[in-house]
Amino acid sequence: MEFGKEDLIKLYVNLVRTRAFDRAAIKWLATGKLLSFYHPAEGGEAPGVGGTTFLRKDDVISPHLRGHGLPHMIGKGVDPKRYMAEHCGKATGFGNGLGGFHSAMDEFGMFGGTGTLGSCFPLSAGWGLAAKKNGTGQVVVCFFGDGTSNRGTWHEAANMAAVWKLPIVWVCENNGVAQYMPIQDAYPLEDLANMASAYGMPSAVVDGQDVVAVAEAVMAAVEMARNGDGPSFIECKTARFSAHGIGNPDKLHGKDRTTEDIAKLRERDPIVLFRTSLLEKGVLTPDDVERIDQEAVAEIDETEKFIDESPFPDDPALLDAALYAE
Amino acid sequence: MRELMYLQAINEAFAEELERDEKVFLMGEGIQTGTFGTTTGLVDRFGPDRIMDTPISETAIAGAAVGASLMGYRPVADMMFSDFMYIAADEILLKAAQWRLLQGGTQQLPCVFVANIGGYRKLGNEHSQCPYSMMLHNPGLKVVIPSTPYDAKGLLKTAIRDNNPVIFLYHKGLLPVMGEVPEEDYTVPFGVADIRREGTDVTVVATSFQLFWAEAAADMLKDEISIEIIDPRTLEPLDIDTIMTSVRKTGRVVIVDEDTERCGFAGELATQIMERGFYDLDAPIKRVCAKNYPIPGGIMEKFVLPQPEWVVQAIKDVMVD
Repeated sequence: MEFGKEDLIKLYVNLVRTRAFDRAAIKWLATGKLLSFYHPAEGGEAPGVGGTTFLRKDDVISPHLRGHGLPHMIGKGVDPKRYMAEHCGKATGFGNGLGGFHSAMDEFGMFGGTGTLGSCFPLSAGWGLAAKKNGTGQVVVCFFGDGTSNRGTWHEAANMAAVWKLPIVWVCENNGVAQYMPIQDAYPLEDLANMASAYGMPSAVVDGQDVVAVAEAVMAAVEMARNGDGPSFIECKTARFSAHGIGNPDKLHGKDRTTEDIAKLRERDPIVLFRTSLLEKGVLTPDDVERIDQEAVAEIDETEKFIDESPFPDDPALLDAALYAE
Repeated sequence: MRELMYLQAINEAFAEELERDEKVFLMGEGIQTGTFGTTTGLVDRFGPDRIMDTPISETAIAGAAVGASLMGYRPVADMMFSDFMYIAADEILLKAAQWRLLQGGTQQLPCVFVANIGGYRKLGNEHSQCPYSMMLHNPGLKVVIPSTPYDAKGLLKTAIRDNNPVIFLYHKGLLPVMGEVPEEDYTVPFGVADIRREGTDVTVVATSFQLFWAEAAADMLKDEISIEIIDPRTLEPLDIDTIMTSVRKTGRVVIVDEDTERCGFAGELATQIMERGFYDLDAPIKRVCAKNYPIPGGIMEKFVLPQPEWVVQAIKDVMVD
């Protein structure tokens, strides 16, 4: 797919908005507004944003856990306001305040997140099966980390998707570390994309810090799936700039990641890289950059106001209504 | 009335619901062939896109059923042996059961997980389980365990039409049992117990295959003790009202259930009865369940799985003053 100026700006805006929401989530967790826990997306935003921004509204996404899916839902066009409200426990959230971070937005093809890593694979197989049965060219894009594909569920679902030629794109956001476990000790492989060949799936390895490269690779795979040519696998080599979760130590095998390690990762910040390139090409001016930043700040302010004005759910009858459907 | 085998009644329910609603489809291991006859022949009528043979991948089968149900389909995941449902515990217990509440009740998951339960076939612990207490422990599922061909057909049709995840567990010992099944369309509602035999001295609540042991015991004791036998048919929703009405009449209760005694359905039911009717009871409630051992392979299973004489003894025990 060819990307015009508007497309590139859209990608950039979505990256900036993602970073702004990610930072707001960290701040709100510290002040007690955001409930439960938070696993920042910083450094790893490009695969989610690049992989979703050009999907159809009825395409299905399974968001990755980082940023609890903000990069993916922002790219998909979901208004993050109600997601953040849900994460803050408010009755105006997607799950009426019952879901926490496991949010769904059915009309945007987002049927919910999972708490047990690896359960995204069998669910995506089901979404892919339904998409295939619908016969409307709908595609499922499942995002997951390198840690998640260590689960056996990956094998079962990848095999089922391949053998049934389901319209699924598997997007691995490989940041090289699963919580405290470095990837070289979790796989005997350099490139996780090599797993795809075991299931006869085509695959590609892309620079996950280059949002355009991600978008190109994912959309090529999406077109293939739309045309009935089955699943494929895109590995995005990306980064995690901070610890696994807020409040966690940033360690590998019990030893701190060094400041040099982190500084090296931060040299390839996906937003800085893309901004520099867009400014060089004249797609954006410094004024545009400033305006986009300000718009993101305004969106955060508006979201915070919405959350602050929203009530908490407090009626136990909500549990009965939500337990079983009529 | 026409008579069918229990397995034929299940097969007929599938066929009628596949015919009735094009969103219904089945998937599972070897179901086009049909390991127990419950799905045999359906592929000839409905084709391989609706009767889907799967690889041996229980987590993918169960997870795919959950996923497809969220997108408006009515999948039936045939898990073959209920023991294999442990493999898909995340998909069945955390996803199917609990997804809707975690989305604030905004979604529906109309899927059915079908599997056989039960022992007495000398198959050992991984082909003999009755794991419904595990299902009941995770709120959000409906749990159905029919004991007759009539109920198997009527309850399976209700299960497929229900807008919630349903666990439908048929007992492998009941598969060849014959019973009356009308030719016309009917369903059996969830949450309505069946009073199989009326009596005034003891209430025996028996589930699934254990109904036969309860009836055998009642026959053996018919000249001395008047026994009321109740089959709950669905464990969630549970028709506790029918059971309590009987308990108030008899004041004595034996619960016969094939699941392992510890933390099983029988213990749950005994507590519910005690909470509602402690002062109606004339004797402590007795449970007849699988003993707290792994179900052995071979003939040793007879020392673990409930036997008819255990039921007789339990009834005599609750009759003491």
